[in-house]
Amino acid sequence: MSNVVSATLVHLQIAFLGVLLACIVGLPLAAYLLNHSKLSRYLFLIIDAIQTVPTLAMLTFVMLIFGLNNSTVIVAIFLYSLFPVIRNTYLGLSSVDPGTIRAARGIGMTTLQIFTKIRFPLAMPMILTGVRLAVVSALGIATTGVFIGAGGLGMLIWRGIQTRNMTMMLSGAIPVSVLAVFFEYSIGFFEKKLIRKSNHTA
Amino acid sequence: MVRFENVSMAYGTHEVLKNLNLHIGEGQLVVLIGPSGCGKTTTLQLINRLIRPTAGSIFVDGKDISQVDPVDLRRGIGYVIQEIGLFPHMTIQQNIEVVPKLLGWDENRRKERTLELLKLVNMDEKYLSSYPSELSGGQQQRIGLLRALAVEPPIILMDEPFGALDPITRESLQEEIKSLQQKLKKTIVFVTHDMDEALKLADTIVLMKDGEIVQAATPKQLLSNPANEFVEQFIGRHRIYGGKADTVSDVMSDKAACVLPELSLVESVELMRQKHVPSLFVVDDNHHLLGQITIEEIRQVYGRENIPVGEVPLYHGPTAVKDESAKEVFDMMMENHIDAVPVLDEENRVVGVVTRSSMVKSLAHVVWRDENG
Repeated sequence: MSNVVSATLVHLQIAFLGVLLACIVGLPLAAYLLNHSKLSRYLFLIIDAIQTVPTLAMLTFVMLIFGLNNSTVIVAIFLYSLFPVIRNTYLGLSSVDPGTIRAARGIGMTTLQIFTKIRFPLAMPMILTGVRLAVVSALGIATTGVFIGAGGLGMLIWRGIQTRNMTMMLSGAIPVSVLAVFFEYSIGFFEKKLIRKSNHTA
Repeated sequence: MVRFENVSMAYGTHEVLKNLNLHIGEGQLVVLIGPSGCGKTTTLQLINRLIRPTAGSIFVDGKDISQVDPVDLRRGIGYVIQEIGLFPHMTIQQNIEVVPKLLGWDENRRKERTLELLKLVNMDEKYLSSYPSELSGGQQQRIGLLRALAVEPPIILMDEPFGALDPITRESLQEEIKSLQQKLKKTIVFVTHDMDEALKLADTIVLMKDGEIVQAATPKQLLSNPANEFVEQFIGRHRIYGGKADTVSDVMSDKAACVLPELSLVESVELMRQKHVPSLFVVDDNHHLLGQITIEEIRQVYGRENIPVGEVPLYHGPTAVKDESAKEVFDMMMENHIDAVPVLDEENRVVGVVTRSSMVKSLAHVVWRDENG
């Protein structure tokens, strides 16, 4: 049992570190791209391409640099998460009503204030959607980490398969599924709450 | 309060404003109006430096605004726009308090001011915790207005603020602006394309076309003395009610059907039939009005057709004078269902008559003015 708990914790750690890295890099990058449409076109091509690389192939490439350990999985998750995080943040920030922005500028907000007080809060529901997609898929990607020697719930599933130990298989499969469903709904709940707050008619 | 000196504005080679000179006095409500693309909104946005002129200077309160930090400048100028621009993720209270907060007012002072503002437009405190989307369009724009008034800026810019509202709401907000303006004495620069709105609100109307001011005048001057054909066309249908509208002498007929009291009733009725008039004016030898006979009076003496009209009880209806406004006489006729009103000179002599066909004539003046010169 303690095996399952520690594997779950490692699993969460891997998934969250990957997504967190993507947020740290992606949020400012998306904000920067807002005023650099040419660069954004090229960048979206690149992260779009990264997104389509199959998981095992990606792990192989990353492993060449980071070796056989958790870091490789974290970096892979980071790369996969860039797409939903950057794309949704960019869309959220750029879809704020221009009238609202004009009003904010007209009443004397600085560019920074317009960003922190208006654009960012209004883009928040959309950013959360991106984070939710990233987290859920990260939980899935983390299970494949076992192939390059990383820990997590994937290890329990894989060992269970190898030893035809149904209990061990399920002790990995059930927690990872529950986690994915849990984060899907809990982050979704906050999104809806934010949307309701700013748009009661929806 | 606001002064434009030789201001030009161009986007690339496209000239939006051409050498604009304009002075907006303190406490005035100035309406910028014109067809789309005339530069009215550009002019407005130059005042709070949302855009910068390519040439010339703009002075607000005596200071050249190119020397003032734009953020400071804007915080001292109220701004209301057509899209309303309330922040959807903030409550009504937070929206109203945005600028006070930017200026660092403490919570008590902010709240006090917010309550004061709500009272100004008779809105209930219960709205404070609502979000903009819970309010009607008219209420939202009221809040937009309060947000602009929050730190008591001496100048308020309004960019077609009622353009997106339904006519009834628009009208009531126009009334509110007018009464607020009388109470608060702000300098307001108001952009619209609606002449009704301009005539209703403005102290001065600045009519623009192709980046130039065509005429800047009070509503009354504009109506009575349009500078050129464009102005005339733009104010169009409003002219009939304006200073140059028809007077009684413009529309009356000088062929009033008059009879002497000695004429017999039979002859009088015959005369009415010939002239196709529903009534006759009975006058003495010097053309002084004695009274009127209409079908009503004749019916009362039915069967005694041979008496002279002088013996019929005469009808004494309303009368008009030559330089009275034709519209007032028309209104009176419509209200009281009168067919003909005698026009009298200073000595009570009949000089003409206003009938329903005078109304048609007056209308024709408006409709075919150009053709008739």
